[in-house]
Amino acid sequence: MKVKVKLYGTLRRYVPDYRHEDGIEVKIPDGARVMDLLAHLEIPESRKGIVAMEGCIMRPDDKLIDGASVNVLQPVFGG
Amino acid sequence: MKFLKVNMADKTVNVEDVPQEYMGLGGRGLTSIMINAEVPATCDPLGPENKLIVAPGLLSGTSLANTGRVSVGAKSPLTGTIKESNAGGTIATALGHLGITAVVFEGQAPDGELYIFRIDKNGDAGLIPAQEYKGMGTYASVEKLLETFGGKTSVLCIGPAGEQLLTAASIQSSDMDGHPCRAAGRGGLGAVMGSKGLKAIVVDQGGKTADAIADPEAFKEAAKAFAKAVMADPMSGQMLPALGTAGLIAPVNSMGAFPSLNATKGVMDGWEKVSGEAMAKLIHERGGKTGHVGCSQCIVRCSNEFVDKDGKYVTGSLEYETIWSMGGMTGIDDLDTIARLAFLCDDTGVDTMSTGVGVAVAMDAGYKNFGDAEAAIAMVEEIAEGTEFGKMLGNGPAEIGKHFNHARVPVVKGQSIAAYDPRGMQGNGVTYATSPMGADHTAGNVIGEYVSGALDPLKADGQVEASRNTQIAMAAVDCTGLCILASFALVTPEGGGSFVQAMNAKFGTELGPDDIPALGIRVLKAEREFNRKAGFTNKDDRLPKFFYEEPLPPHNAVFAISEEELDTTFAF
Repeated sequence: MKVKVKLYGTLRRYVPDYRHEDGIEVKIPDGARVMDLLAHLEIPESRKGIVAMEGCIMRPDDKLIDGASVNVLQPVFGG
Repeated sequence: MKFLKVNMADKTVNVEDVPQEYMGLGGRGLTSIMINAEVPATCDPLGPENKLIVAPGLLSGTSLANTGRVSVGAKSPLTGTIKESNAGGTIATALGHLGITAVVFEGQAPDGELYIFRIDKNGDAGLIPAQEYKGMGTYASVEKLLETFGGKTSVLCIGPAGEQLLTAASIQSSDMDGHPCRAAGRGGLGAVMGSKGLKAIVVDQGGKTADAIADPEAFKEAAKAFAKAVMADPMSGQMLPALGTAGLIAPVNSMGAFPSLNATKGVMDGWEKVSGEAMAKLIHERGGKTGHVGCSQCIVRCSNEFVDKDGKYVTGSLEYETIWSMGGMTGIDDLDTIARLAFLCDDTGVDTMSTGVGVAVAMDAGYKNFGDAEAAIAMVEEIAEGTEFGKMLGNGPAEIGKHFNHARVPVVKGQSIAAYDPRGMQGNGVTYATSPMGADHTAGNVIGEYVSGALDPLKADGQVEASRNTQIAMAAVDCTGLCILASFALVTPEGGGSFVQAMNAKFGTELGPDDIPALGIRVLKAEREFNRKAGFTNKDDRLPKFFYEEPLPPHNAVFAISEEELDTTFAF
C-alpha cells in the first residue's frame, strides 16, 4: 500500500531532498503499522516521531490505511 | 528577602523583611496568597484597594536555567477573579539579583498623575514623575527609559491601553535586546497598573545582593543536571529552538483542535502558510533570527525576531498563541499581517490573544469579513487611537460580543480561550472552565497526554483528572520563576530530581517530590477562596453554551464533560 507523508518539526532533515509542497509517497507492505512507517523513514527512535492520520494521533501499533495522508510530528507539550 | 511597599497616594516606599506568613513563597504563590490575604475580594479592581504585586520566582536570580519569569498579581478588571499573569524578559532576574522578593503597589496616584518606579543597582527605589510618557507606545517608552537609565535596565511598562484602563491591557516586559515584546498579557493587569498612575517599573540589572544560596556546591551540581535534562527533552531541546512555540501549529491542526474562524472549525484553511515550519523558513530567508534568546537565563531559545522582506525588525518573538488569535481565529493566513498585528498589540500594550479573539468575534458578527487583513489592522490601530470601537476591542471579546449582540463569544469569566478548542481537547476545556484565572491554557494544558497517546482528546474519560493534575503542577511551577517551556523536563527523574535538589540547595530545605503538588494545591486553594469571596460559585466554572451545542468539524464533537464532573476538578 501507499501513504502520502508530510514531515513536521525538525524531522525533515531525515529525508534527503524532502520538498514539503510535495511531501513523500511511501510504499510499504499491506498491514504496516505506524512504527513500521517510522522505521522505513529512518526516523531515530530517540526523536519519538508521532503520526497523525485523518485528524487523530495514532499509536505506534495502529495500522495505516492505504492511500491515507499522514503527518509525522514531534512530541509537544503546551505553551 | 525584602518586600518593597510603594504607596502611590503619598509616594512613599517602605522596605520590609518578608514576614513569616509569606516565607517560602515566590512568583504566583506569593502574589495569589498575598492578594487573597490583603485585597478585599469585592473591591473595584481599578480602585485604590486593589494591589499590584510584582514577584520574581523562588529561583529567579540564580544560575538555574530558564528562571527568568516574573509574576504579576492583582484582582483582574477583566474577569473579576484573582489574577496572576507571568512574563519573560529580564526583570525577574534583575529583582532576584537585588534580593527583592516582591514589589507591592498600593493605593492610587491622584487623577492625571503618572509615575515611573525605579530601583537602582543598590536597591534604592523611588517614584519619578513621568508626564512626558503619557500616551506613549511601549516601544518609544522603553527606548526613552533605556536612554535615561542605561542599557542594563529591565522594564515593565504599559502602553496607551493601560493608560485608558482598558480591561484587556497588558504589561509589556523588555527582552534581552530591550524590545518590549514579552508580556504579562492576560487579565488586564495593564489597566490595574494604569489605575495606580504607574507607567513603568524600571530595575537596574547590576544588583549584587541576591539572597544567599544555602549550599552553593550542591546547587551548581543540580543546575548542571537540570540543564542537561532540559536539552534532552525533544520539545525544549529541538522543536522550540528551531520553530519557537509556533511549532505547535502543525500538531494542533493535525488533531483538528485549532479553533478557527471564531471557533467554528478545528482546522484552519491555509495553516501551512503560518506554521512554525513556514515561519522559520521565511525568517531565515529574510535574515531574521530563530533560536534567539529572549529572556535571562534561557537555554531553550524559543524566541525569534520576525523581519519584513527588507530584513527590518517587525516584532520580537512571534508566538503560537498570537498566530492563532490573529490568524486562525480571523482567517488571515499571512504572516506579515500577523506580525504587524503582534507589534501593534505590544506597542499599544494589549493582550494579543484577547484582541485577536475580539477581532474574530467582530468578524463573525458581520462587522467585517473574515480574512480581511486591512480591516483587522485598522481595528487594532483604533485601540491606541481611543475610538469608541477601539475601547470596546481593548476591553476584550465579551464586550465586542455584547455590542454586536453576538452569541458565539469564546470566553470563560470574561477571558478568552486559547489556541486549543475544548471540543477537540476536552481536558483543556476542563482547565478553561475551572481555572481560577478564567479561560487559561498555561494554567493546565493537557496536550502532552494527547500527543503521546496516553489520553483520547475527544472522550470525556480521564479529562478532569488530567486537568486537575496539570493545574496543580503548574501552580507549583509558577512559584519558582521557571519558564513553562523548560518545565517539560520535570516529568523525567533527572529533570524533576535535579529541580527539587536545586530548591533544597538554595533554601536549605529537605523537600521531596510530594512537596511540589502540596505547594500547587495550597496556591489553588487560596485562589479559589478569593474567587468565592468575590462572589463566584461553581456555576461560573462552565464553558459558553455554544461549546456544548455546536459540533466542531472535522471530528464534530461537542464538549462532553458534565457539570457534576467539572465540579470534582478541585476535589482536594
